[in-house]
Amino acid sequence: MKILLIEDEPELRKSIKLYLHQEGYVVESASDFVKASEKAGVYDYDCILVDITLPKGSGLDIVKQLKESGSKAGIIIISAKNSSGDKIKGLDLGADDYLAKPFDLAELNSRIKALIRRRNFDGNKSIVVNEITILPEQRQVNVNNEPVALTAKEYDLLLFFISNKNRVVSKNTIAEHLWGDDSDQMDSHDFIYVHLRNLRKKLIDKGCTDYVQTIYGIGYNFKVSG
Amino acid sequence: MKLISKTLIYYLLVSLPLLIIAGLLSYFLINSELKDGTDETLMNEKVNAERLIQSLKEPKSIYLSSDSLENIIPCTDCKLKSGFIDTSIYNSVEKENVGARMLRSYYTFEQNTYQITLIKTTMEEEELLEGILATFALIVGFLIMSFVIVNWLLSKTLWKPFYSTLSELNKYEIQNHEQHHFNEVNTLEFNQLNVALNKMMDKIYSDYQEQKEFTENASHEMQTPLAIIKANLSLLMQSDNLKEDEMNRLQIIENTIKKLASLNKALILLSKIENNQFKENESISIKQFTSKITDNYIDLFQSKDITLELNLSEDVIVKMNPTLAEILLTNLIQNAIRHNNEKGKIIIELKQNQFTISNSGEPLTIPQEHLFIRFKKNDASKDSLGLGLSIIKGIVKTYGFRINYDYSSSLHHFQVNFN
Repeated sequence: MKILLIEDEPELRKSIKLYLHQEGYVVESASDFVKASEKAGVYDYDCILVDITLPKGSGLDIVKQLKESGSKAGIIIISAKNSSGDKIKGLDLGADDYLAKPFDLAELNSRIKALIRRRNFDGNKSIVVNEITILPEQRQVNVNNEPVALTAKEYDLLLFFISNKNRVVSKNTIAEHLWGDDSDQMDSHDFIYVHLRNLRKKLIDKGCTDYVQTIYGIGYNFKVSG
Repeated sequence: MKLISKTLIYYLLVSLPLLIIAGLLSYFLINSELKDGTDETLMNEKVNAERLIQSLKEPKSIYLSSDSLENIIPCTDCKLKSGFIDTSIYNSVEKENVGARMLRSYYTFEQNTYQITLIKTTMEEEELLEGILATFALIVGFLIMSFVIVNWLLSKTLWKPFYSTLSELNKYEIQNHEQHHFNEVNTLEFNQLNVALNKMMDKIYSDYQEQKEFTENASHEMQTPLAIIKANLSLLMQSDNLKEDEMNRLQIIENTIKKLASLNKALILLSKIENNQFKENESISIKQFTSKITDNYIDLFQSKDITLELNLSEDVIVKMNPTLAEILLTNLIQNAIRHNNEKGKIIIELKQNQFTISNSGEPLTIPQEHLFIRFKKNDASKDSLGLGLSIIKGIVKTYGFRINYDYSSSLHHFQVNFN
């Protein structure tokens, strides 16, 4: 799985690269428009992360260029300008997703996974983690081949955990994923706890291992050994 | 007092003493001219009288006028002073003394000396003064009248550009800067004024624009450093051997960054609203939006044990930007949740173009008029950014709606009027 990261800020580039590398992706990066345009023109990528404001040009032009050349890469725009105009423009040009800075690496990771899944680069539409099978198109979860009835939030929570398995995800990150912009308006931590408790109970009831580890003070880790 | 009236008064104040001086001067001039004229006539008559004397065969008295005051009398012992004398004579018709000019001279013809007395009544000084006073009073009257008329005409015509500039200034609103312009006029001074005003307004507008852009740019510039901190924090959290208090610190840092990011986002939103960057309007059903948002918060109402009462019988359709409509209603509802009591209630009512949201809660600790000001928050709500109500106010202002707040029977009421 090959990703091109187009971001001019070196520190941000480094940390995104590291995080995605740990996820097992091959990550290449470009720091300005010219280099990005070159790489995008020459190599094939599964996913391209592109910042809008770049030295020597606009990330939107790269999106345009990719679409004109018939690239099949999934495109996620990452921008400091959280403007609906840029978002609409980017999506109109053919970008698949839009993520406003400052974002969580776990959130970026789950978006990349969702995008790749949607494009079915795996040739496999289901996600399997030991006894858990998720069918994203039907939003269905099976444990040991038996369906588990989950609420929308519980399903999103499980998918987010599995997308970021074996990683510590903070409660804030989860809250933001589940409630988006509204998460900062409420004390969502208690909420997460309620949903998580229900999710855990439903999974364990079906004979599933309790994979969720509580990391004191920070959040949770969906720990799947091996 | 109008500038024109002031000018009039100053003109009159200056012209009155001038008129008085002019009156006095003309009085003296006319008086002396009249005297000179009389004297000349008397001199001519004197020559005539001398000729008369020359024609006499023997010395005798001759009375030249009916009242015998003008006469030629032979005299031997002539003591009276000769020359012009101011005197007065009794006018039997008018029955009063009238001013007169008398010329007395001596003439010697064939060894006989004659005394010639000639008298001419003159216009009385008083009469002259009265005449002059009347004339000048008339002039002053005409002056005042013409001032009034001229000034009225001036204010109608000459000052017209000034008044139009003034009304333009009164209408000026910086948000609609482009619609205001002070036009070129053909009076130099007013044109200079308009040019200066245009220049000043443009400068103020560009400064204002710059200021607004600064807020937005500064907030945008902060997003990338925040992203870097956040990303590195995520990486740090993956570390295996963090001690408990280190994790607690990481959590504190994360919470703080989250707050900072929210603050930044709210500031950007606020400046976007103020910069009118949400332009696309649609017909919005407030009823639909309200239901959607409250459905979204059902979890929250339950967990906080808040009873929600919805009275959405009359829908209100409003033309506005959907994003802003959602932010407006979301912020009002979130505000009602945040500042609620345990086991409190929220009542949302929609009727007659009004959206009213009421929630139970303690009375305000800050003055009511501070409620919509940025960062002024009721200290009970430490988690609040203090921008929610400013955002609400900004949206309401953008569309010319009105928002009212009051507190009664232990309920906070926010009322948005969409008219």
